[in-house]
Amino acid sequence: MNTPAEASNNEARDLKKVFLVGSPNVGKSAIFNALTGSYVTVSNYPGTTVDISSGKMKIGRHHQFKIVDTPGMYSLKPITQEENVGRKLIFKERPDCILHVVDAKNLERMLPLTLQLIETGLPVILVLNLYDELLARGMQLHIAHLEHDLGIPVVETVAIRSLGIDNLSSRIVEVMENRYRFNTVELKYSDEIEENVAKISGLIKKDYSISKKTLASLIIQNDKDVLDMVKGEGDFDKIKALSDNTVSSQVRYKISHERQEKARDIITEHLVVDETRKRGVWRERLSQLMVHPIFGLPILALVLWFGLYKFVGEFGAGTMVNFIETNIFENIINPKVDIVFHSIFGDNMFFDLFAGEYGIITLGVRYAIAIIFPIVATFFIAFSVIEDTGYLPRLAMLVDRVFKKIGLSGRAVIPLTLGFGCDTMATIVTRTLETKRERIIATFLLSLAIPCSAQLGVLLGLMAGNPKMLFIWALTIIAVFLITGFLAKRLVKGEDTGFFMEMPPLRLPSLMNVFTKTYTRMIWYFKEVIPIFIMASVAIWFGKLTGIFDFLVRVISYPVTWAGMPEGASPAFLYGFFRRDFGAAGLFDLTKKGILDGNGLLVSAVVLTLFVPCVAQFAVMWKERGKGMAIGMALFIFPFAFFVGFLVNIILNALGVQL
Amino acid sequence: MICAFCTFEFDEKLAQHSCSGCLKLGGCSMIKCPRCSYESPPEPEWIKKFNRLFKKGKR
Repeated sequence: MNTPAEASNNEARDLKKVFLVGSPNVGKSAIFNALTGSYVTVSNYPGTTVDISSGKMKIGRHHQFKIVDTPGMYSLKPITQEENVGRKLIFKERPDCILHVVDAKNLERMLPLTLQLIETGLPVILVLNLYDELLARGMQLHIAHLEHDLGIPVVETVAIRSLGIDNLSSRIVEVMENRYRFNTVELKYSDEIEENVAKISGLIKKDYSISKKTLASLIIQNDKDVLDMVKGEGDFDKIKALSDNTVSSQVRYKISHERQEKARDIITEHLVVDETRKRGVWRERLSQLMVHPIFGLPILALVLWFGLYKFVGEFGAGTMVNFIETNIFENIINPKVDIVFHSIFGDNMFFDLFAGEYGIITLGVRYAIAIIFPIVATFFIAFSVIEDTGYLPRLAMLVDRVFKKIGLSGRAVIPLTLGFGCDTMATIVTRTLETKRERIIATFLLSLAIPCSAQLGVLLGLMAGNPKMLFIWALTIIAVFLITGFLAKRLVKGEDTGFFMEMPPLRLPSLMNVFTKTYTRMIWYFKEVIPIFIMASVAIWFGKLTGIFDFLVRVISYPVTWAGMPEGASPAFLYGFFRRDFGAAGLFDLTKKGILDGNGLLVSAVVLTLFVPCVAQFAVMWKERGKGMAIGMALFIFPFAFFVGFLVNIILNALGVQL
Repeated sequence: MICAFCTFEFDEKLAQHSCSGCLKLGGCSMIKCPRCSYESPPEPEWIKKFNRLFKKGKR
């Protein structure tokens, strides 16, 4: 005889299963709670730390179902552990009904998963949750028409207020009792994909309770788990060969793109917008302009002009640096430090370690606090605002076309954007790019043409008073980025990759988010920068004591003068070996002392931007791309940076330009 | 936490940290989004507590 616990388990096992599927933040848990009440158990999916909630759902006197809240997922082609668990549950547990819960106001983003779920052949109900928010934005959906075109039940709900839950319950019963006639939409992919999908589908003979089309479309995307599922097939070798023969990254891109297009068509047909209340539409139009190949460019220029030039360059690197440098360090701290350490050490070498021209406090700490701090603070504020609006994924889509010409895709925006924060960290992130060629080109461009935050800020600050100089500098760096990228694409063999991503909605930046991000990034930055600046000061002190510093300055002065810069600019380039921003801060000092004139400053700024990666970045390049590649890149970049400076100087002189 | 790039919501504890092997002192401790690999610094504890308090107050 069964114990009560066993009886309860058996009962749960025998119940028909309803699965809740959907991405995070769409109110899946609210729907789950509204349907289950308090009969909930939470357990880990075997072998993972992913929580699965399940409970019983009672509808009237006669209907009882098991309901499972699956982890958040965006696609049936999983990337995260949560998505993987969600898909395993759907594929292995064979639900009797799937509720795909979506955020109604962002239906276009979420409909591709509905299409995927429909394609599995499992019974799906589309739940348009947060429907009140859609109405509040002056939008409405033709639900009956949408239901007709998708061929599945469509229900609108506001789960937190229990609105639409009764209707949803009765639709679930309708599906469970096989009273609903599914007449599902079939998504036709492009001919080439359909052909391969058909070939693989024809080779799958066993029943997996998931449609062969779904399995085949995942197999041509080289999905290892699905390939494992069909390992027992007699024609497995042929299936594997077909999978190996497709370029999975391109197929993935095409399939995602075609699904998104289909979703867009459906939305265009069934979404009604109240023209008098089109707050959401305004955002949608702006979003489209941001990714437009022509109109997107002036928007990008505006973002860079106000975000970087005006705020970081003029305000951070100009006003704030001048105030802290002159009023606090030059007038108060440095003279006092000199007096104190002179009274302790007199004129001996330890005075120079802490004070004087190159001391830890008068140089290292001053650079970090007076020059770098205001610049990175303003940079991180601007960056956090841009990030919080949702502009970055749009930037990725905008530059995707150009990036393809240099062997990259829009995905490379992630490491390249992070490079403006710190090139070392960004070099590690290049490992997330799909192909080896992309990883090599991105590493190369990061070490050549992407200045880190503080370096960029200092350079912007130095040139802020002279827009013509800034324009020539920006044009030179962009030209170097594109030309070297274009040549690198031809030099490094490899396949082109596609890029497609769901667009999160545009939003107004939240003050709290901007504060949090800026604060945490500043803490991270200073934890890293202060010890290195202090170490650099000690190294310079030691170098001066032993004569190594003067020797190295002399060596580096040859390419410096050859490129048309004054010999006095040489120490800044030596600092640049420690960190790029340390070098830029050195340049700031030289300009203040009047060592650099306009043309000299431009050439120095160009060379320093392109100059060799700092020690930390070089070490990461070595680790990530191998020593041959790292040394090769550094050996190319060092003379190339001076060569570009030399060219800029020659052109300026030939044209008689004096900045 | 929510990824600043693709808005994917994930558990900070389960996410990968990206700093292994670089030369930085103590690593950069950035948190990598499992979906798009964008990296963000971890929120300090005091900000998390403050946010929780703020959310409670809102309810």
